[in-house]
This record gives sequence, C-alpha cells and structure tokens, in this order.
Amino acid sequence: MSASEPPELPQEPPEVVYRRPAWVEPPADLVPGIVPVELILARTPQRAIGLSGIRAYPTGFGCTLHLRLREDIPGEQSNFGVFNMFGDGVDPAGEFADYYLRFGVGFADGRKATNLNQRHDFDEGPAPDPPTLWLVRWEGYDRLAWEVDVWVYGLPRRGRWPSWSSGRPAASPSPGSRSTPAWS
Amino acid sequence: MPAWSRGPVDMVPGVVPVALLVARTDTHAVLIDGLLVYPTGFDFDLAVRRHPGLPRDHPDPRVWHELWLEVRFADGRRADNGPGPWPHPDDDRPPDPPLLYQSVSGPDGGHVWLWGLPPPGPLTFACHWPAEQIPPSQAALDAGLVLAAAARAQTLWPDPSPP
Repeated sequence: MSASEPPELPQEPPEVVYRRPAWVEPPADLVPGIVPVELILARTPQRAIGLSGIRAYPTGFGCTLHLRLREDIPGEQSNFGVFNMFGDGVDPAGEFADYYLRFGVGFADGRKATNLNQRHDFDEGPAPDPPTLWLVRWEGYDRLAWEVDVWVYGLPRRGRWPSWSSGRPAASPSPGSRSTPAWS
Repeated sequence: MPAWSRGPVDMVPGVVPVALLVARTDTHAVLIDGLLVYPTGFDFDLAVRRHPGLPRDHPDPRVWHELWLEVRFADGRRADNGPGPWPHPDDDRPPDPPLLYQSVSGPDGGHVWLWGLPPPGPLTFACHWPAEQIPPSQAALDAGLVLAAAARAQTLWPDPSPP
C-alpha cells in the first residue's frame, strides 16, 4: 500500500435479517388459502364463542375467535381472560382463573394445542413440536364483544377434525395447499 | 360504540373464502383477507407483507396514514381512508354507507370495518403507496360472495330478551 492509497477498511459483517420463528406467526411471503368455516363453538344464555375464517398456510393456520357476552355482568370479568396471556390469569398456585378462556385445537391423530401452555422465549431453544397455539391479536367492543386472532403452528393430517360442540362448517378444512407465494 | 363502527356484537359473521393480492412490488405486497361479513357491513384485514429479504431495520411505515386505500362498489359508491369529516360517535344518525373505519393499526397493516354492503357486481379494492413505491393498484372480487356470506351470519341469541 502506498502513502497515497486510503487504508483498507475492515469488511462490514453481512446484514443479519431478523425473522421471527415460523412457529410464532404465519409466513410473510405467502397468501393464505381460505377455508370458509363459520362455527358457534359454545353458547349459553349469557355467553357465546364463535370461530370463523381459517387462513391456511403450509406451516399452520390462523382463525378468528368471536367472544361474546349477551350483557355486561357487574363484578364479573367480561374479557374472558384474553388479556391474560402473560400470566395475569394465573393465581400463585399456578391454577388458571375460572374466567380464563380455555381454548384448544385437536387433530384426528390425537395431537392437540391449547392456550394453557404458552411459551415466550421466541428466540431461544429449538422450535416446539407442532401443533402450538398463539393468540396474536385481540380487540374488544363495549365490554360485550372480543375478536381474537389465533395462530396454530402445524397442520392436521387429512381427515375429519374432532367435532366441535356445535356449529356448521361451510367446508371441510383443507390444509394449506391453496396458499400461494406473494413472491415467486 | 356506534353501530356503524363495527359488526353487530350479537352475531357470528359469514366468511368470504378469498384472499386478494391487491399490490405487489419487489419489496412489498398488500393483501386483503379475513373478510368477515355481517348484514350491516364487513371486517377485513389490510395486511402489508415485506419481502423476507428486506432488512428488519427498514423503518416501519405508518401504514394507515401513508397507504391510500379505497373500496369501490359496482354502483359507483366508494369509501377511502383519506382524511375527511367523521360522523360523531354520539350522533344517532348513521352515516351514509359505505364508510371505512379502522379499528386496529400497526406496521403490518390493520383491521378495517366497512359500514355498508355492496350491491351485486364487482367489489374493488384499490391502493397506492408512494412512500414505498407501490403504484396505483387494484383487485376485485364478486360482491355476490360478500352478500352470500352476510346471509350466513348467525344471530347468537334469537330471542330478544336475556333470561
């Protein structure tokens, strides 16, 4: 190197592109296939839980839960515990509160995922065995209605899903074979 | 909340089995999916997808304020997310449909409510995002799918008074 040449700069490390693990959220580069499921999972005189719109990807599927109270009940938790995914709905003994919504999916082969065993160390350790279940968005109105988006990592094998408590599926769920790449 | 700002709380919606790719560039894609329909209007997700190779330190845009979105009915009526006079929440008179109302917004898009149902014919979603170099783009679906889903929305408690 001569005195007139600039010193050689250290090579910059390659830019690290951060991506959340596949088991935490849907893939960003796919358009989902939609399964037009419209279910009422449970209904009592005061409360109801619906499920709609399965959005299927090769790695899992999302859907929306509709949590409904018929009227505000003074002194009762109106939010089904949906804000409690970080542990507020668990008492010191580790028991979930009565008002905490227990939700899960079960596959025909016996595998299942619920919202009772949430994991928060997204970037540490290996990916969990599918299926796993996450509540990824929630939004409420008037203390009577909550919309909760769920992400289930893992797909069922072909076959009927276990029957829900009630409802009428508009079509049999078909795993993410219709999802298409946003960028080919 | 006024009735024009969200779906009826005593119903489970019908589903439109469609995901629309409204715009796609080398770096971004704009999707409309999650169409959930009630007799008074429909919810949908405005989803902004970034190319997986895009660096994460790319500044997160303010989607709802930067991305222009318009929904067009076959009869010429339209609604967009531009600034404009908003009906007062306490006003008993509902605004003339269609009206776009966003309830949740984030860097990946948001959850949008459209007050009013389209007539039969094409239902068009259009967007334009100059800050991210997305040119005017649009995609359409058959409004008959939306109307059929509205007819499938289920009333949770058909009897009028709680026990």
